[in-house]
Amino acid sequence: MRQRPRRSRIALTILQIALAIVVLLPFFWMVSVSLKPPTEPFAIPARLWPENPTLENYVSAFRPEFRTYFLNSVIVSLSTVVITVSLALLAAYVFTRAQMRIVGIIMTLVILAQMFPASAIIIPIYRMMRAADLLNTYASLILAYVTVTLPVAIWMLRGFFARLPVTLEEAAAIDGAGPLRAFVEIILPLCRPGIVATAVFVLIVTWQEFLFALSFTSTREMRTLPVGVNDFIGQYGIRYGELMASSVLISLPVIVVFLFLQRQFVAGLTAGAVKG
Amino acid sequence: MTKKDSWLVWLFLAPAIILVGVLMYYPMVGTVIESFHSTSFINPNPQFVGLEVYQRIFSQPEFAQIVVNSLVWTVGVVVLQNLLGFFSALLLNQHLPGQGLMRALVLLPWVLPGVVAAILWRFMYDPQLGLINSFLIGLGLSDTGFAWLADPNMAMASAIIAAVWKGFPFSTVVYLAALQNVDEEQIEASIIDGAGPLRRLVDIIIPAIKEVMLINFVLTTILTFNYFDMIWVLTRGGPQNATHIFPTKIYDLGFGQFRFGDAAVYGVFSILVLVLLIALYFTVQGSSRQRRAAP
Repeated sequence: MRQRPRRSRIALTILQIALAIVVLLPFFWMVSVSLKPPTEPFAIPARLWPENPTLENYVSAFRPEFRTYFLNSVIVSLSTVVITVSLALLAAYVFTRAQMRIVGIIMTLVILAQMFPASAIIIPIYRMMRAADLLNTYASLILAYVTVTLPVAIWMLRGFFARLPVTLEEAAAIDGAGPLRAFVEIILPLCRPGIVATAVFVLIVTWQEFLFALSFTSTREMRTLPVGVNDFIGQYGIRYGELMASSVLISLPVIVVFLFLQRQFVAGLTAGAVKG
Repeated sequence: MTKKDSWLVWLFLAPAIILVGVLMYYPMVGTVIESFHSTSFINPNPQFVGLEVYQRIFSQPEFAQIVVNSLVWTVGVVVLQNLLGFFSALLLNQHLPGQGLMRALVLLPWVLPGVVAAILWRFMYDPQLGLINSFLIGLGLSDTGFAWLADPNMAMASAIIAAVWKGFPFSTVVYLAALQNVDEEQIEASIIDGAGPLRRLVDIIIPAIKEVMLINFVLTTILTFNYFDMIWVLTRGGPQNATHIFPTKIYDLGFGQFRFGDAAVYGVFSILVLVLLIALYFTVQGSSRQRRAAP
């Protein structure tokens, strides 16, 4: 490895610490305020850590409607992850293996759709959901989420399939396995890292989706967390302690999943890009 | 997969084709059709009015303001996000102590749900209770602090800063991956030739990842132009329309006022912008492919 002069190493280390502060300070403050007792006043200059930290805000944040929103988010997100990843596996496999020209054109069109702006297409989708009597149901959200995450998921998984040599299926065919069996028994198990990375990506996107949830749900019983917590802003007034406690509770599931799987996730994210 | 397995090809592709076709391509057409119709809260049934809605929207000064806002927002976020992403990627590629941990932590703002990030920044910008004013006053840089989101002259800049914080980590990861592919030997050679860090950046690193940079610019432009969550939660487009951009205006017109036709005109404009950017994307990709193919 190259050796740098001491002085520039120190300068770079200071820059890295500055970057860490920029990234982490808002998180630190979110946690700090969530632990501040409702009675402790905001001082100027702000105290970075509360004098008597307490979990009181978490207790009041975890009220019945919050639990409903949480459950709704879990149901919608997990269903979307399972359905999107399954459908994306099928499509991405065909896209890397089929030789037909038309399949290549379809692939470009499907992958292109990942750039479509939700706000520009939401009104016709809303009308369709209304015509199908699906507004304010899990089904409307899951359908919308599966559709908008599918193109990216296909694009990510394609990077993984493209790395697997076709000789795998050829060998399976010689052993008498049909294409479907070769796909299920040989190809899928080899794609596990890609499946994990794609599932994490779909989860992060779905867990925070706001526009569709805001437009398609009309009752508190059906709200997901992002819409629910946005409603809280008005209700809480300036009870920031509770608002920050809710924010921590909402963010924790995705942050934990991300930190556990971040190596595979980043590899998966960039695999698609490299294969572009 | 051979020719005789084509039934399998279509079976595997059918769900993706149907979903993306019906819920993404068809609505694009639907928005264009909708834009020729007029609806309001009193008249919820769409009535064909030709170009009337377009004429009405174009004659309002509000339209020009939203175009300008969107331009400022998009250029501001994309440029800052890419610069910050690029330089933090260079920094995280220097084999410093603690680098592995930093590479994981830097992605956290991107993982944080958008609405939560927006609420958090709204709180940081709070004139009385927010961390930013508190710092400024504490350090004696300001007597009373600033109304970050309530002042029409500052609201857009404040929203841009919040969005850059949320979005730059993604660019960092993309650039970090690209930097792994830069030829180490070439860099070593240039050091022996006496090239300083700036020369190495301009002569070797930037040319090597130019393609990734261009593609990342186009992609972040598309995503930023259409990013709804941050501005909606921070300001709802206010104060006095100062931060209204296309997606927030579309939502406000459509679901706030039930004027679907008006919303669709803004939607058609977003689609046109998208088509232009996608054309740019393919031009960039195509020209770099050609260069690679050439000897």
